[in-house]
Amino acid sequence: MQTSTPTEDNPAVPDVRERLKTGFAGGLQASWKLIRFVIPCFIVIDLLKGSALLDQLGEFAKPAMQLFGLPGEAVFAFLAAWLLNLYAAIAILVPLELDAWQMTQCGLMMGIAHNLLLEGGVIKSTGTKAGVVTLGRLVLSFAAGLMFFAAHRLFGVG
Amino acid sequence: MDALLTSVGGALLLSLKLAIIIIPLVVVFELFRYLPVFRRIGTVCEPLMQGVGLSRQASLPLFTGIFLGIAYGAGIIIQVTQEKKLPPRELLLLALFLATCHAVIEDTLIFVAVGGNGWQMLGIRLFLAVGMTAMLSRFWAARRSDSSHNQEGGGGRS
Repeated sequence: MQTSTPTEDNPAVPDVRERLKTGFAGGLQASWKLIRFVIPCFIVIDLLKGSALLDQLGEFAKPAMQLFGLPGEAVFAFLAAWLLNLYAAIAILVPLELDAWQMTQCGLMMGIAHNLLLEGGVIKSTGTKAGVVTLGRLVLSFAAGLMFFAAHRLFGVG
Repeated sequence: MDALLTSVGGALLLSLKLAIIIIPLVVVFELFRYLPVFRRIGTVCEPLMQGVGLSRQASLPLFTGIFLGIAYGAGIIIQVTQEKKLPPRELLLLALFLATCHAVIEDTLIFVAVGGNGWQMLGIRLFLAVGMTAMLSRFWAARRSDSSHNQEGGGGRS
């Protein structure tokens, strides 16, 4: 692309110090973007944990969440993952004190389907069917969750 | 009041954990992104990509998405897909693969930080994304050759 520069195949490479600086600044910026979500989400769920409101909503979601081997309250983390991002979801999951397998299950399911609105927009802007893709993500996420739970129950995987 | 302090403490600790993962990740990416290896990775993976129905043209958006994520890699993905004018089916395959399997390093690490098993999350996600894309591309390929054999049939014959 940049044929004007004399050096052979890779013209515009900044030096290592410059790259370290850019990387560190970028990392800080990304962290701050996410921490802004994480702190309020974590505090709200941690304080509401065990309250009547959260218990009742959790109870309502329990049958669905049980299919995946998760407690009812995990539904809030799924909503946060779908609508916002994985960091908000984690901020909600940590106060729930899940075991290691349940955390892996959440990571698997949410890793497949998260941030659906924003990423759906990106997918649409590449010119393909965003609705089909988003539906595919949800279906695959549920299927993966069901299978991983079955493997956990039947063969003790995880 | 004590409860609030504990919550705030927990939220700050989680934020710190996340920052410790994100900052080095961005720095490392910034350091290595200019290496020619990143450009050649497409050539090396060509046979693998053919297996899931993607051409070499899709390699840059594919690998950007797998490692960086849809939201961060959005600029590159949109630009490349529009420039290269990928056929619609290939674009849908690419979107489907990336939608279910992107930002795998970051997503996995943040769940590992809170107790999940990274190899299980990563392995299952990759397996499902490859499997689903490969199946869909084979289904399309089979249907195409089927409909070229009998033009007027509805297509559902075996």
